[in-house]
Amino acid sequence: MVYKISIVVPGAEHGGAIINTSEMPKVGDHLKVGEFELEVIEIMDLMPPRGDFHFMHATCKLANK
Amino acid sequence: MDTIQLLKGVEVFDGLSETELKRIAGICQEAQYQKGDMITTQGETGDEMFIIREGFVEISVGEASEAAPSTATSTHPPALSASAQDAPHALVSLGMGQVVGEMALVDHGPRSATARCVMDQTTVIAIKREAFEQLCQSDHHIGMIVYRNLAADLSFKLRHRHLTRR
Repeated sequence: MVYKISIVVPGAEHGGAIINTSEMPKVGDHLKVGEFELEVIEIMDLMPPRGDFHFMHATCKLANK
Repeated sequence: MDTIQLLKGVEVFDGLSETELKRIAGICQEAQYQKGDMITTQGETGDEMFIIREGFVEISVGEASEAAPSTATSTHPPALSASAQDAPHALVSLGMGQVVGEMALVDHGPRSATARCVMDQTTVIAIKREAFEQLCQSDHHIGMIVYRNLAADLSFKLRHRHLTRR
């Protein structure tokens, strides 16, 4: 399965990111987006799955290092 | 990871058989960029779409007025080109498996945004419009699947954009 994730960081000026992962992210997981490490605070389906793909939306915050 | 394996993880090619993926791989060309390099420039003409194999690419609008083609060479109306009053604005960052520049394959228009690499050794797979259209003409199943998936990819990006404005 491929999880296509729309990532948004509330309050950030940047428009977020879209990445593929092989595992479904859970709340508390860390996602690497370029030079940034983000923590998932909310995850939901964005569209119904099709073929090998799931379509998710993750609300994130900058991870504490 | 070979090109076929990469293509299997790209939504745009979901639903194609192994044989069909091999035909797609046959028209792919790899290119590597460094941090800061631009893959596309807003307002310029373009006839390729790109699949990110490795690295991250930032998509932005409103910063390409100097790089936009002059009216002497551009066939596009000025209203479609970047304007000097636009403030640069990052729309989204795209990671491995995402598609960049697909609108040029769909509408033949100028680049709607600038795509800049934000990591060194960003590798992309380029697919030329002419080769892609020839492939779709010769195999309508590939064409139907890929164009449907391109529409779904654009839909996903639009939904993402809406969610950034909540």
